[in-house]
Amino acid sequence: MPWTNSSGGNGTGGPKGPWSRGPAPPGGGGPPDIEEILRRGQDRLRRFLPGPGFGTGTLIVAALIVAVIWLLTGIYFVGASEQGIVLRFGQYVNRTGPGMHYHLPWPIETAYTLDVTHQRQINIGYRTAQDTDDATAQEDMPTEANMLTGDENIIDINFTVGWVIRDAGDYLFNVEDPDATIKAVAESAMREVVGRSAFENILTQDRETIQIEVKALMQKTLDGYGAGVTITNVNMQKADPPGEVIAAYRDVQAARADQERMRNEAEGYANKVIPEARGRAARIVQDAEAYRQQVIAEASGQSRRFLSVLAQYRTAPDITRRRIYLETMSGILGTMNKVIVDDSAKGVVPYFQLPSMLNAPRPPAGATATTNLPADLSQGSGQ
Amino acid sequence: MTRTILYLGVAALLAALIAFFSSFYFVNQTEEALVLQFGAPQAVVTEPGLHFKTPLAQNVLFFDKRVLLLDAPTEEVIASDKKRMMVDAFARWRITDPLRFYQSLIDHDTAIMRLTPILSSSVRRVLGSQTFAAMLSGKRAQLMVDIKNAVNQDTAGFGITIVDVRIRHADLPQANSLAIYSRMQKEREREAAEYRAEGDETAQRIRARAAREVTVLTAEATRESEILRGEGDAEKTRILGQAYSQDPEFFAFFRTMQAYQDSLGTGGTTVVLSPSSDFLKYFGKGPGGK
Repeated sequence: MPWTNSSGGNGTGGPKGPWSRGPAPPGGGGPPDIEEILRRGQDRLRRFLPGPGFGTGTLIVAALIVAVIWLLTGIYFVGASEQGIVLRFGQYVNRTGPGMHYHLPWPIETAYTLDVTHQRQINIGYRTAQDTDDATAQEDMPTEANMLTGDENIIDINFTVGWVIRDAGDYLFNVEDPDATIKAVAESAMREVVGRSAFENILTQDRETIQIEVKALMQKTLDGYGAGVTITNVNMQKADPPGEVIAAYRDVQAARADQERMRNEAEGYANKVIPEARGRAARIVQDAEAYRQQVIAEASGQSRRFLSVLAQYRTAPDITRRRIYLETMSGILGTMNKVIVDDSAKGVVPYFQLPSMLNAPRPPAGATATTNLPADLSQGSGQ
Repeated sequence: MTRTILYLGVAALLAALIAFFSSFYFVNQTEEALVLQFGAPQAVVTEPGLHFKTPLAQNVLFFDKRVLLLDAPTEEVIASDKKRMMVDAFARWRITDPLRFYQSLIDHDTAIMRLTPILSSSVRRVLGSQTFAAMLSGKRAQLMVDIKNAVNQDTAGFGITIVDVRIRHADLPQANSLAIYSRMQKEREREAAEYRAEGDETAQRIRARAAREVTVLTAEATRESEILRGEGDAEKTRILGQAYSQDPEFFAFFRTMQAYQDSLGTGGTTVVLSPSSDFLKYFGKGPGGK
């Protein structure tokens, strides 16, 4: 019977349907089969039929006790976050809120409680420790996570879907295995949306849009099934290039950094050499300006000196000429090697030992002749 | 005797009880029931709850009325442009007519067995008429609707409705995936090389501009320097010219004396003098020398 294999509990952390609450009893194959129950009830009833050796009184007391216990089995509690669902002969008759409630005892009515406020989560593309018995923290599921993008690239997406039960009745009665359905719809919706988006955009600006679109698409599909759930959020945990090419993607980031670095280095260089050149240029101009002022000043000094001497020279030209001549000569000749040859020795070829003359001791350096020079000829006196 | 009556009474009671209990049945909230009388379909019960039937003559079959799963295995589909893809589709369906369903598909398990190939072939037919690119576009939603309609058409008369067909995965076969990875890798490598080359270009541009600026700055400074030096030299020439032109003959003498001093006055020079030279006039001829 279809009734018996509802919500197979494939361990996605979702709620268990009322027909498979908790782990199945060993060998029990799940929920009670109604005809089976009926048959057992008939057996049990048969056992209470009057048989030999029982007094009527005892029988009545025993029947009363059994009846009271039977009636008491109709008490049930609905927790703060739960909804109670009451079925009468399998028909959904009532939904109850938190608190203590009573239903007519089995087999007339049965009650199920369902946690409706608890937010449930499905992980797609990876499994956490709580999904599997394996203690390893997180495991990738490449077949779930890798999907094609609109521009025929492959992207590795992990995402979670959060959902709550909106209507316990719809959740229980409208869809076979609602948990697996939600997961299948989530995968399909994500692939549909990713399949029409461009790879680069998924990595960057479209993340938010994709989450919203997937959520809307899932909600629409599930509402079409009457699943009675609300998708509260779709979160992309990871949207990366697949492992096979991630190194190349990282290298692109590195290349961007390299580009920036090369530019910065070049700018650093420019920022160093240009001010230096500016400084050098300023020095060249200043040097030239200094030269200009220097030669002008020197020239005007020389000019003044000449004019001053000229003014005095005019008063006694011959004397001054001779004086200047003699003073200059004494200044110059004082430090020279001198050879005086009489004109009368004209017939004799003067013979000089040039090397010895050249090697003749020179006056010590620094003992310049300036002291012997006339004041009006010595260098620098005009400045 | 009384013992026999008692046994008979008990037997009658038992028979009555069995008749009583087998004359009603529960239809669950998630089910519909088909009542068969001696194997012939008699009635469809859609209302959940407690119902009665004729004991022994009638028996009841139950059918799930929820939205049910139908999962096709992953299959290789060849698109119209000869590209291959691995498609994993699933359908959601429900039993709408229990009688037809019972007549054509018997029960849930048989139905799954019969419907799975129908779903697979519809997937292949619809997707096979499309290019691979159509799968990766807004057209995907329409394709899923097309598959749903195709399956509905093929299962007409089975008493079922396909509520929805969705493609869970549509991926490339492993070999093609590798090709895509390699293409992605090449694209990234190209991109990285481009960034680096652009960085190099920018750096060279900046350095060249800096070098140019340095050269220009130096040249402009040199130009200004030459102008200034020229001005200085001109001014010097003017000043000295003005002064010396007052007595060119004395300037020649004065300046010659200065030049002697500058060029000869530092020693190391040997001169050969005649006692009759002007300087040695008195040396050669005595105080009366003339």
